Parts: sequence; structure tokens; C-alpha cells
Amino acid sequence: MSASAARGVTIDDLEHSYGQEPVLHGVCFNAEPGESVALLGPSGCGKTTLLRLIAGLEKPSSGSITIGGELVAGEAWVPPDRRRVGMVFQDWALFPHLSVAKNVAYGITKSPNKDSEVAAALKMMNLTDLSNRMPATLSGGQQQRVALARALAPRPGVLLLDEPFSNLDTNLRVEVRTEVHGLLTELEITSVFVTHDQDEAFIVGDRVAVMREGEIVQTDSPQALYHHPVDRWTAEFVGTMSLLPGNANSGVVDCVLGSLPTDPQLKGSVDVVLRPEQLAIDSGDEAEVQLIEYYGHDTMVFVSLGNHQLRVRCGASTSLSRGDRVRVAFIGDQALAFSTS
Amino acid sequence: MSQTRTPRELRLAGLVCSLAFAFPGLYLIWRNFTSGADPLGLLLERQTLEPFWRTVRLAVLVSLSAAALGTALAWCTTRTDLPFRRLWRVLLPIPLVFPTFIGAAAFIRTLNPGGLANDAFSFVGIAETPELRGLFGAWFVLTLFCYPYVYLPVAARLRQLPGSLEQSALILGDTVPQAFRRVVLRQISGSLAAGTLLVFLYTISDFGAVQLMRYDTLTRAIESNYLARPPMAFALSLILLVFAGVVVLAERSINRRLPEITTHRTSPPMTHALGRWKTSAITLVVGTLTFAVLAPSAALIDWASDGLLRTQRGGRPLTIDASKVVEAASNTLSSSVLTGLVALVAVTPIAFLVGRHRDRIGRFAHSVVIATFAVPGILIALSLRFWTLKSGFFGDLLYDSMALLIFAYVVRFGSLAMGTALVAVRTVPDGLHDAAATLGADRWKRFRNVDLPVMRPGLLAAAGLVVLSTMKELPISLIVAPIGFPTLTTRIFGSFEDAFVAEAGIMAVTLVCASALLSWFLVLRRADHL
Repeated sequence: MSASAARGVTIDDLEHSYGQEPVLHGVCFNAEPGESVALLGPSGCGKTTLLRLIAGLEKPSSGSITIGGELVAGEAWVPPDRRRVGMVFQDWALFPHLSVAKNVAYGITKSPNKDSEVAAALKMMNLTDLSNRMPATLSGGQQQRVALARALAPRPGVLLLDEPFSNLDTNLRVEVRTEVHGLLTELEITSVFVTHDQDEAFIVGDRVAVMREGEIVQTDSPQALYHHPVDRWTAEFVGTMSLLPGNANSGVVDCVLGSLPTDPQLKGSVDVVLRPEQLAIDSGDEAEVQLIEYYGHDTMVFVSLGNHQLRVRCGASTSLSRGDRVRVAFIGDQALAFSTS
Repeated sequence: MSQTRTPRELRLAGLVCSLAFAFPGLYLIWRNFTSGADPLGLLLERQTLEPFWRTVRLAVLVSLSAAALGTALAWCTTRTDLPFRRLWRVLLPIPLVFPTFIGAAAFIRTLNPGGLANDAFSFVGIAETPELRGLFGAWFVLTLFCYPYVYLPVAARLRQLPGSLEQSALILGDTVPQAFRRVVLRQISGSLAAGTLLVFLYTISDFGAVQLMRYDTLTRAIESNYLARPPMAFALSLILLVFAGVVVLAERSINRRLPEITTHRTSPPMTHALGRWKTSAITLVVGTLTFAVLAPSAALIDWASDGLLRTQRGGRPLTIDASKVVEAASNTLSSSVLTGLVALVAVTPIAFLVGRHRDRIGRFAHSVVIATFAVPGILIALSLRFWTLKSGFFGDLLYDSMALLIFAYVVRFGSLAMGTALVAVRTVPDGLHDAAATLGADRWKRFRNVDLPVMRPGLLAAAGLVVLSTMKELPISLIVAPIGFPTLTTRIFGSFEDAFVAEAGIMAVTLVCASALLSWFLVLRRADHL
């Protein structure tokens, strides 16, 4: 089974509010055909609302949405049932009164090859054996697969996923995430998915749009987002970091770790943002090991230096222990810093 | 919540339905000021105030005793190691299938000479059989047949309550009664208040039982005045209407102040060992069932079989034959099923407006329909009767018609379907609807393929509640039913009043059996899912 031609999504200057309460302001967003974009943000930032607007389940206050070159909201209005957009809901929203096969067939009742299409969708998601079961009798992972099969059966140009993995327990989550990632890549379908989990966004998304309080603060590849966040908040939201006060001048920032190379544009008092892998532990006496968290593949060491706490990523076989006196060294190329003003 | 717009036809339907529901009450108020009498003067007359105080006295007494009995039975059958709990749980709601006037008649007649209880008394040598009449009789009968209104919601709530709450209280040093008072009672207070309100409203609207017990409450006074002195009947009706409204508003404001606690059962409910209280608990349950189920059933069956045997032995022949029973039964069945369906059609749009669209007109219509619950049947009957007499066009069209009867029933009992229909609409998660929309289903297909199948059990139960209540309805059937359209209740009531006990017994057995069967299929079997 293959998806129909992937369609892009373009959103321009979108505003939306629930009653008096504004939830989205001036949102601009773009997903290229075949691309997978994650909407990442803390709860209540409006990311699910944005997804529902794309699906047509909400009507924007102003601004426009274009799907595959067709204007669906703004000057024109295309209701959800005519947008040909697939959606996987957070709770999967399987029809409790219909069997697995009938759930999958729901969106393609008018298709002449209905039976073979349903069979293909079931086979793709490894659901053939479960086709006569009722949703209530399925496990979480199975329900998730039925929801995906149902959304994909009508061959939508765009697939929307609302927190697709949040209802699964931890072990299953990683497994299903890889499965879905593989599927999206293979089908070359345009997908937009909502998550509050940075790992999920980075793993599955070709690009990630970070949302905060109803606005998109940055849309970039995961790498760019991690290494070049636009502000301190984004830096903190997309990954672990340590924060130090510093003073920048002509490409150098002075802080308790010494003089580190930084963006030459910066000048004056700044917050220095250090990723754990930009730091290393050396022999010395100025800092003390406070806490060690062992993760198997590596170790996070919390070190106190003066009034500051630094997080340092070390190898899996570190011989440090709590209370050791050490020195912290900067081993990155360039330190991230943001003006405090 | 879908932000897509509320369909205009739905809002129009909701508005029209709510106006229809409000009409009888409004017409009654209007007639009070246009009937040419002196309403304020009448309101303060002894003739109006005395029945009012009798109504208050009876309603307060019945509410208190039914609340206590219902709660005690609910606690015993859900929270203790009482033997045969499952059996009691099936049997205890049964009194609901007896119309109270039939229960009242059963008790009155069984104590009269020739009655079963009278025979039993004289058999053991007691010549003076006690009489059951007046306030005591009405209180006794209404308590016996109304306690399930409290028992059912309280038992449901108790079953839902996690045992860990009580266990915590006991571990923190409470005795069982202390834990009941400090923890359990707080948790069930909402259900208890709602159930007691039902009992109260039922009591003030009851006509049949007080009529047979010869206890002059407002409803009885209205009935005896409406032909001879309409202005008097209107004034009495207004008092009853205002009283019912005040009671409902009072319950609302108390209930609003109660903490709203939604607990989902996480641990199984707790079971207390009854110990030396076991005998008392069994006596309570068995005693209740003896008086509320066994005694009236035995009395009715006794008369019915007596009558049938007497005819065979060539005694005084019955005044009815099988065809009369069948006619009344089929009239009852057809009118109540029709009422159930019409009520469903009337309240479902409102349930959609409130539950799905959170629409302002929907909320207005919903509160109107819920408010009609407080309007006693006799008022609706009176209002519509006078309306068709007075209004030329509608009078010609509707006077003495089946349509008017169904309309009156729907206004009386539509509110019963409202709550259940709303629950049914809310059982369809918004997500399900949204999912169907993204799969290309338009509004109509979503309604047919998603809403209806998911709501079906709830809607059936809603219609079932209306059917059951309509079957047992007396005052509306007496006053509004077209001439030549006898129902079981009007036939039974008439036979009792004319002392044709055997005939009444035969039809009462028919009505009670039909009502019990339908209750089982339509409501009780599903009660756990609601």
C-alpha cells in the first residue's frame, strides 16, 4: 500500500482563541511534501490546537491554512470531512461499536476496492489476525496500530498525530516510536505530530517547530535546534544544560570556567549555556562532585563550582564518587550565550 | 469540543421543544390572573391553606422516612456481609412497579372485611382490624413505594465508592458508625439529596394514594374543585406549582454547596461484618419486602383469583371480560410507548445542544425541561383541559384527542428522559466524532454511524423510563384521556372507587406484571451501565 501524493501544509499568520482566551497568535508554519515535522512545546502552548486547525476541527479566528496548494481555511473554508487529512488521536478514538476491520474501513466506504484496501492496511500494520476483534479487547499497542491503519487507509496527503505515543507505557513506547518512524519514512507521507517530549521530536521529526504560549519560537532541524537555539528558554527546553553568568566581548566570554570562545556579536553581561557534553572532568581542586547518575551508556555528573551547579556528561566507566575534588574543563568549539538584557 | 458551528435547525428544534414543555405551566399562571376571580384573596383562604399544610406535612414525613429507609437498605446490601445480598438487590427496586394508588388500595381493601389481612386477623382472634386511612395511611403507603427513589442512587454511589476511603478512616481510629457519618455520608450526600427530592416531588404530586386514603392534600382539592370552581382550582394549582419550584430551587442551592467529588473506584468496596446486627438487618430487608412487595401482590392476586373463581362457580359475574382487559392494556401500552418515542425525539436535540455544542439555547431549553419535572401531573392535565376548552382553534383540533394526551404525558415525563439522553450524548467522546470527521464522514453520516450506535443503549433506557412512568400515570389519564380510551390505570381506579375489587385486581395484576417485565428489560438490566 502506498500513500497518495504527499501534500504540503502552509500556515500563514494564524490567530485563534477559545472564547475570550487567545491560544495562538501570528503562527506561521510550513511542512514540505513528504516531510515529518514535530510540534514541540510544553502543555498548554497551543500545539494540539494547531493540529486541530490543520484538520479542520477548529475554525481559525484569522489567518490562512493551505494544504497541497488548496486554501482550506481563511478566505475559503473546507470542512474536516473534505480535507483528506488523516489523524491519529491521543486516545486513538477507535469506534467502540465497530470491529477492527470496520474501524479501518470507515473512511473508505465508497471505495470500489474497499475489501482489498482494508486488507492491505491491516497487513501493513500486522493486524490481519485481529480484524474481527472489538477495540476494547485490544492492548494499547494494538489499538495504536488500528488507529494508524484507519487514518492511513483513505490514503491522506497529510497525516496528523496528536501525542501518538503518550498513552503507551515506557517499553512499548520506544518500540512503537521506531515502528512509526520507519513507516512514515517508508510511505514518504507528510506528517505533523504533536509532542511534549524532546526525544520524540528529535527522533521522529525531520524538522521541529518549538511552540511557546501560542507562538512558534523556532523551526529548525533537530541539530540546529540543539546547537543554535534562538533564546535561553528554547535552549533549556530542547536539552539538558548548565547556566553560568558571564561577560562577553569581541568573541570571548569570561565566566568561572575561564575565557571561552563565543559569538562575536555578543557584548556585555550574558547567560552562558553549556551542554553536558561540552564539559569534561579533569584533575583539580576547585569543584566538588555532588551527585552521580548512571545511565548505562553514559553518566551524568553534577558538580558544584562556587555557587553554581554544572552537569557534565562522562563515559560509562567513570571512577568518580561523591565528594571528589575535581576541575571542570570546557571542551566544546563555541559556548552558547544569550544577552541578559 | 468542536468549534464548528451549531446547526441552526437544531437550535430551532430545541427552542420549540422547550416552549412546548413550558406551555402548560405558563398557561396555568396566566389563567390565574385572567380567570376573573380574586387570586390573592383565594390564596389566603382557609380552604386553600389547609390542603397546602397537609401537603407539606405529608411530603416532609414521607421524604424523611424514605431517605432513612432507602439509605439503610442501600448500605446493608452494598457494604455488609448480609446473606443473599444479590437477591435483595434484585428485589428491592420492585416496589417502583406498583402505582402508589394500587398499593394504597391493596392495603385498604386487605384490612376490610373479606380482605386477606382481615381474615388473618380474625383467624388469630383479633376482631378489631386496624384501619389504614388519613395521614398515617398515606405516609405508610408512600414511604413503602417511594423508598427505591433513594435506594437506587445511593446504592449505585456506594458501589462506586472506593473502599480505601473507609479503610483509611478506620485505620485513623474511626468506628464503623463514625466512618459512615464522617466519610461515607459526605460522599453519598449528593445522591441522597437527589433521591429525596424525587420522593418529595412525587409525594406532593401524588393524587391516587391520597384520594383513596381520603387525605385532603392540594392535588385532591384541585381535583374536587376543577369542574365546579375553576378559579379555586387555579389558585390551588398556583400554590402547588410555586411550592414545587421552591423545593427544587432549594435542593439546587444546597447541592451546589456540597463538594462535588468524583471518585473512580480504584479499590473494591469495603464489606463490614454485621455480627450481632445481622438479625436486625435481615428483619429490615425482609420486612420491607413483605410490606412493599409481598403484601400488595398477595392482595391483588387474591382478588383477581377470587373474581375468576366466583364467575366459574356461578356467583355474581364480573363486570368486565377479557376483551375489556386487553383493550385497556393495549391502550396503556400504545400510549406509553408512543409517549416514550415522542419524548425521545423532543429531548434528544436538546441533549445534543447541551452535551455536544455547549449551546446557550440548549442550556436554556435543558433547564426548562428539567424544571417541568416539578410540575405535578394534575396541573398539566388541568391546564391543557382548560386550554382546549377556551381556545377555539386548538380546542377544536385537540379537544379530547389522543395527541393532547400524548403531549400531556410527554410534558410530564420528558424530563426523565432528559438526563439519561444527555448522559448518552456525552458517552460519545468528542474525539470519536472528530475522528469520523477526518475520515471524511459528513454530519449526517457521523450521526448515523457513530452517535446513534454508541448512544443506543442510553437512549433506549431514556425512553424506557418514560414508558414505565406513563404506564402508571393516573391524574393525566383521568382528566385528559379521550372518552372511549380507557387505560389500565383509569379502569383500575374506577373499579376501586366503585368497589369492583375483583375487576381492579385482575387489571392491576396485568399492569404490575407488564410494568415489572418492561422495567427489567428496559431499565434495571442496564442500570449498572448508566
